[in-house]
Amino acid sequence: MAEKFDHLEEHLEKFVENIRQLGIIVSDFQPSSQANLNQKLNFIVTGLQDIDKCRQQLHDITVPLEVFEYIDQGRNPQLYTKECLERALAKNEQVKGKIDTMKKFKSLLIQELSKVFPEDMAKYRSIRGEDHPPS
Amino acid sequence: MKIINTRLDDSARAEETMENFTALFGAQADPPPPPTALGFGPGKPPPPPPPPPGGGPGTAPPPTVATAPPGADKSAAGCGPFYLMRELPGSTELTGSTNLITHYNLEHAYNKFCGKKVKEKLSNFLPDLPGMIDLPGSHDNSSLRSLIEKPPILGGSFNPITGTMLAGFRLHTGPLPEQCRLMHIQPPKKKNKHKHKQSRTQDPVPPETPSDSDHKKKKKKKEEDPERKRKKKEKKKKKNRHSPDHPGMGSSQASSSSSLR
Repeated sequence: MAEKFDHLEEHLEKFVENIRQLGIIVSDFQPSSQANLNQKLNFIVTGLQDIDKCRQQLHDITVPLEVFEYIDQGRNPQLYTKECLERALAKNEQVKGKIDTMKKFKSLLIQELSKVFPEDMAKYRSIRGEDHPPS
Repeated sequence: MKIINTRLDDSARAEETMENFTALFGAQADPPPPPTALGFGPGKPPPPPPPPPGGGPGTAPPPTVATAPPGADKSAAGCGPFYLMRELPGSTELTGSTNLITHYNLEHAYNKFCGKKVKEKLSNFLPDLPGMIDLPGSHDNSSLRSLIEKPPILGGSFNPITGTMLAGFRLHTGPLPEQCRLMHIQPPKKKNKHKHKQSRTQDPVPPETPSDSDHKKKKKKKEEDPERKRKKKEKKKKKNRHSPDHPGMGSSQASSSSSLR
């Protein structure tokens, strides 16, 4: 799994470096650097071909659209991961709190119902396969 | 590679640390005990059957066994006075009562991203990328969203540029005009010594040891020593000169007067 990304990362880094070098050549162009320019242009084409080949290996990867929003705003995309984890944690805690409260409510309800409807609750317990009321 | 759109609730933000989280869920590491909840189904219970004609208001109908609604357990359909009973959820079912971060082995990711402060800027994530990447993409029309919304028209494949096509890339000699030099503009780096040291962690040059710096200081002191001696001698001479006329004159005043000269 990680190899796929390493492969893509390597190609992207090479591509960026080629673009950077092309920028340097172009920024102060000399007649002698025409051959270099032509070479770099073809490197860029091969770089694009390599990146395009990586696409086949990454068909099963899904990227949340929100990550692109972070990048477009010039923000670190790791902040998205961080916020996702924090949100998941908060929701997890909320749900746990609800479950715990409902469990308490259930035990209290059974306790009180057993006082008022002892026969019915005994039936209920027998149906549920419980011998003793939960504390 | 696919792009998915997940709706996020920005209002819900966790402020607790991992420690709080583990403290909260610490006792719940084991699978939860089998629930013994009342098996009430969702929604309202069905209304009671209509009273028989002629029946008085005080005559309560005998408890009848309701038919099992769709989704309810068939075995629980004939359960005495209870209706809408269904099977309880299994104990193995994954719920929010378990620590889902530990369940999916995400503690490392949590500690990595939430344990320490993540730097805000994109250039901190991609430090080797040239150009001003911290600016919003809408600024120079280079946003990724525009790439998705308006994908470029592509041909079948990338073909190498042949000799005749390369003739179109003959450039004029000389430097580019300033407005076109976007590649060379780098975001200003902060002159924070601490951060500078962090960024140079890979450099083989070892940090300056305290002993080295002390040595340099000592050298400086040694160099300054002869000058100090001269100054002291001058002061003494002045004192000797002025002492008969102005016996109360302090050394500090003398030094200030010498500096004025």
